[in-house]
Amino acid sequence: MSSSRREFFASLTSPPAGAQPHLERPDVPGAETPLRILILGGTRFLGVAEVNYALARGHRVTLFNRGRTNPQLFPDVEKLIGDRDNNLTALEGREWDVVIDNSSSIPRWVRQSAGLLKHSASQYIFVSSLSVIADNSVIGADESIAVAQLEDPTVEQITGETYGGMKALCEQFTMEEFGDGGTVVRPGLIVGPMDVSDRFTYWPVRIDRGGEVLAPGAPTDPVQIVDVRDLGAWLVRVAEDQYTGVYNATGPAAPMSMAEMLYGIRAATDANVSFTWVNADFLEEHGVRPWGDMPTWIPPRDGMEGFSTVNCAKAIAHGLTFRPLAETASDTILWWKTLPEERRNTTRAGLPADREVEVLAAWHSR
Amino acid sequence: MTTSRRGFLQIAAAGVAGAGMLRSPFAHAPAWPPTAAPLRILVLGGTGFIGPHMVRYALQRGHTVTIFNRGRSNTHLFPEVERLIGDRENDLETLRGRAWDVVIDNSASVPWWVRDSAQLLKDSVDRYLFTSTRSTYSDFSQVGMNEDGPQHDPDPSGVDERRSQGYGPNKVLCEREARRAFGDRSLIVRPGLIVGPGDNTDRFSYWPIRVDRGGEMLCPGDPENPVMFIDVRDLAEWYIHMLENGTVGTYNALGPEAPLSFAEMIYGCRAVTSAEVSFTWVDTDFLLEREMRPYSDFPCWMPARGARAGFQRFDLTRPLAAGLKYRPLAVTARDTLNWHKTRPAERQARLRSGITAEKEAELLAEWHAQDR
Repeated sequence: MSSSRREFFASLTSPPAGAQPHLERPDVPGAETPLRILILGGTRFLGVAEVNYALARGHRVTLFNRGRTNPQLFPDVEKLIGDRDNNLTALEGREWDVVIDNSSSIPRWVRQSAGLLKHSASQYIFVSSLSVIADNSVIGADESIAVAQLEDPTVEQITGETYGGMKALCEQFTMEEFGDGGTVVRPGLIVGPMDVSDRFTYWPVRIDRGGEVLAPGAPTDPVQIVDVRDLGAWLVRVAEDQYTGVYNATGPAAPMSMAEMLYGIRAATDANVSFTWVNADFLEEHGVRPWGDMPTWIPPRDGMEGFSTVNCAKAIAHGLTFRPLAETASDTILWWKTLPEERRNTTRAGLPADREVEVLAAWHSR
Repeated sequence: MTTSRRGFLQIAAAGVAGAGMLRSPFAHAPAWPPTAAPLRILVLGGTGFIGPHMVRYALQRGHTVTIFNRGRSNTHLFPEVERLIGDRENDLETLRGRAWDVVIDNSASVPWWVRDSAQLLKDSVDRYLFTSTRSTYSDFSQVGMNEDGPQHDPDPSGVDERRSQGYGPNKVLCEREARRAFGDRSLIVRPGLIVGPGDNTDRFSYWPIRVDRGGEMLCPGDPENPVMFIDVRDLAEWYIHMLENGTVGTYNALGPEAPLSFAEMIYGCRAVTSAEVSFTWVDTDFLLEREMRPYSDFPCWMPARGARAGFQRFDLTRPLAAGLKYRPLAVTARDTLNWHKTRPAERQARLRSGITAEKEAELLAEWHAQDR
């Protein structure tokens, strides 16, 4: 057997060290009409998924960014260097079919880039956020729900208070500049390989470690997530089909409970694991925070009843699809294992292991 | 990566999964150490559900395999493997004058079949692996029962009289015949529900297939009710591994290692599909009152109470010590579903276990109409 064949067979049982399957181009047929796509950002997480899918479909991709994040990615793709804040010179005098703006939370940036590009591109897709929703108590909110308003529309400081209102103003500027050519996509929690936030990642990594896992709230509490590759691919198809208007974009298509998510993740591992469900009141009393300590989880109460019940029927009707959860979980674990040890030891979300043990002990002795 | 290598990977991936099916993101199989010395393995049976997985894995590990059967089922399998034709009931001629290192007996629930083949082979074969069953146990009320649990106590004269005493008791006699001939060279394995690609009983398969159909799905009983089964590939790989290691003795064969609840199993099946599905858990007594049968109407499901409290809570210390390893549930569910989709349409439409879609809708309507 040749050494490359041997390598391949070995890879069926265990991934080679440093394997990054999520960086490979998806196996999809080419698009009928190749597009010229300008991606603002494009070298992290969602942008990478868009570029991989766009290239697989045969589109001509140009990236615009500062050249700082993951500059080794996509050596064959045209890269324009500039800065969303103050240097768009590289975008002048060029034409594209469509722009995908991944990298704005500051309304002024959208005003500047959309204003500059409105005569040289026919569509502008702004990646917004479900954080624009002003009232999270509404169950099953669709795109018509009221969005947050900034008290001071010139604010550029991103905080928990301002983020939603800033994204809403970004949406408004997109539509003002591009009119019928404007598209606003509002993802919820985007998950999967290359997520630097560790928010969903906590769960597959935690479950893969095995032992007694603290599971938050009620098993039936709702949760919504979207795999970065599903969202990235769909954004490119939105460009191909020239879909405009506003779209909520999280998943899956049928409601998912925390138990369905956690048990589904278990199914993707061979870990020896058990789950202990600890109710929301107890967690609150013991200082365990929803979302930050217990990622993806927001108890459906206190004005957050609708947070994980957003209606995405419009996006689904326009072609948003969802891969099986086991694939997201498995790929996230594979990717995580390629990270340097010091990175894996400093997680950015989720309850530290010693705190989990403490809270579980308190729960069992209550 | 070179273009040709990528092309090969795509072909390989397509061969495994096929269009529109969940691709293979997982490690396929637990990793085992390399084969030390090739064995000559005789498989009695070998072309049913579990046999082909064993033959395939044995060949992959570099062993030499001979298959003995009537030459009737799945005759297209393994053209490269030596086949001996005969009949467990009355014609073992082709086994005479030959020597093997080990024999795997998958095909006997008839005690005199085991008696005849084990007696014939005891001097020409080193070890005898007999596939027995969890059904040899007579009492499932104990939780955490191991291989020393109480078994049926059939009348030994049934062997010579060629008289059947029912499946479990027959299998007890089979075990005894294997031990009588091979003594401490015998390896007895007692699997519970064996599941995965190729299972024509549809007992586990019902669940991934049902989840994949989508819609509102009836889930039986308590979400916390325990469930145990074993993927046929895990069983097959473990068999070969034990034969390589010279393992003897008696072992239950079930999984997974950490207890699995019914909800974990069903939600695990959801995780391998993109189906739009929702789950309605219907109370155990409601189902029993309507004469719904555990295990057949609701495959894998056995309410853990009374005489069946321990049915799906066996102690696994011995099989684990003997090296049994488990694939992730998602691999079992995915591969079962992918295999199911290769079956003829009429077979896909008529499962041999589980309730029909009409019956399920009827039960759900009645459940929702109840004043609870």
